[in-house]
Amino acid sequence: MSVEEKVIKIIAEKLNVSEDQVKPEASFVDDLGADSLDLVELVMAMEEEFGMEISDEEAEKLRTVKDVLDYIKERVK
Amino acid sequence: MESKWSCEPPALKIGDLVARVPIVQGGMGVGISLAGLASAVARAGGIGVISAALVGIYEGEAYFFKNPTEANIQGIKRQIALAKKKAPGGIIGVNIMVALTDFEPLCRAACEAGADILFCGAGLPLNLPELRPEGANTKLVPIVSSPRAAQLVAKRWWSKYQYVPDAVVVEGPKAGGHLGFAPDKIEAEESRLEVLVPQVLEAMKPFEDKAGKPIPVIPAGGIYTGRDIYYYINKLGAAGVQMATRFVATHECDAAPAFKEAFVKATKEDLTIIKSPVGLPGRAIRGTFIKEVEAGKKKPYKCIYHCLKTCDYRKSPYCIAAALINAQRGRLEAGFVFAGANAWRVDKIVSVQELIDELIEEYCQALKEDQEGPRA
Repeated sequence: MSVEEKVIKIIAEKLNVSEDQVKPEASFVDDLGADSLDLVELVMAMEEEFGMEISDEEAEKLRTVKDVLDYIKERVK
Repeated sequence: MESKWSCEPPALKIGDLVARVPIVQGGMGVGISLAGLASAVARAGGIGVISAALVGIYEGEAYFFKNPTEANIQGIKRQIALAKKKAPGGIIGVNIMVALTDFEPLCRAACEAGADILFCGAGLPLNLPELRPEGANTKLVPIVSSPRAAQLVAKRWWSKYQYVPDAVVVEGPKAGGHLGFAPDKIEAEESRLEVLVPQVLEAMKPFEDKAGKPIPVIPAGGIYTGRDIYYYINKLGAAGVQMATRFVATHECDAAPAFKEAFVKATKEDLTIIKSPVGLPGRAIRGTFIKEVEAGKKKPYKCIYHCLKTCDYRKSPYCIAAALINAQRGRLEAGFVFAGANAWRVDKIVSVQELIDELIEEYCQALKEDQEGPRA
């Protein structure tokens, strides 16, 4: 599974939405109905999956699916 | 110690701390629970809690406005030292909201000053273990409003620090002040404290097993009588309870007499949910100030110190810090009073010891009736 596929799968799982809905431009809060706890859970799941640490400041900037994809792809090489 | 009650309630144990009275006095800001109230509760055998919110203002306003962070740190250290002096051997905790701009330095300072417990809510205290200085024995207790939040905090602490919460306070929708529920969930069936407590107990079990130590669960929000305490401890499996509203109506409470009188005078209809500038709903007594805000009257102000990370001070119709400080000082027309859903039931002001005696006696009565079974 590619990094992109993994990220999309985690987002779909954690936010309880279908993988089709997880489009790059989708905003977690506005389009995928995430609340503040969902966002924390999502960040923790990414950290676990990719063995990295995402600081609070960085996490705050991750608002859309694309933000996360770019961030993870940049860090996982 | 000789027992003056007709039974001995189960002690509340948090790590190596043992409170003979299983009641935590909820932290109340701004300035409602300082060293005066917290030490009185600790002397009576419960856990007294100082609120860290804007505690620096009591170090002198000029100093506070010049250097708020420094004043807050000096303030929290002074309140802890004072409470410890007034309640030798008693248990003193500090409530530090995660949303406070000075959250991190306040946590460090409170541990250094020898606080026995930190209670941290109004946000998830995900990095709390790393804020405790090496060698400090301060217990770390998150305040949450859902099993999910409890689980997230415990999961994070365990994976990052191999640590689990020393206890968890679960605050339901009947609490006073800021609430951890969306406005449309406050009255919801699934938000009721009686529903949340067993879920939080269940959520903490795997972490108790992992760490090999108990994680006491402490319900809060709307607990009013000794019978309520009996219900949560003996029927639902809580380790103790947290109560705040009852402690406002005590001589030792650190607010001005007019603030306490507002609780005595309030009717059920006076209790309302406001939309706080902080971005959360809050329960308060509806007085002149709130009515004016509801009517769209703005109270222009300049934000001198951005005290809360989450406050949208550019859009807010008033400064919540100023409103709460005014109320604490008895200037109710220039502020408002946060209060729990049962605040209208308060009808007198008593001493902390009298209140605790009454609660424990009610607890014992409930226990006795239960043991004797239904009367023929």
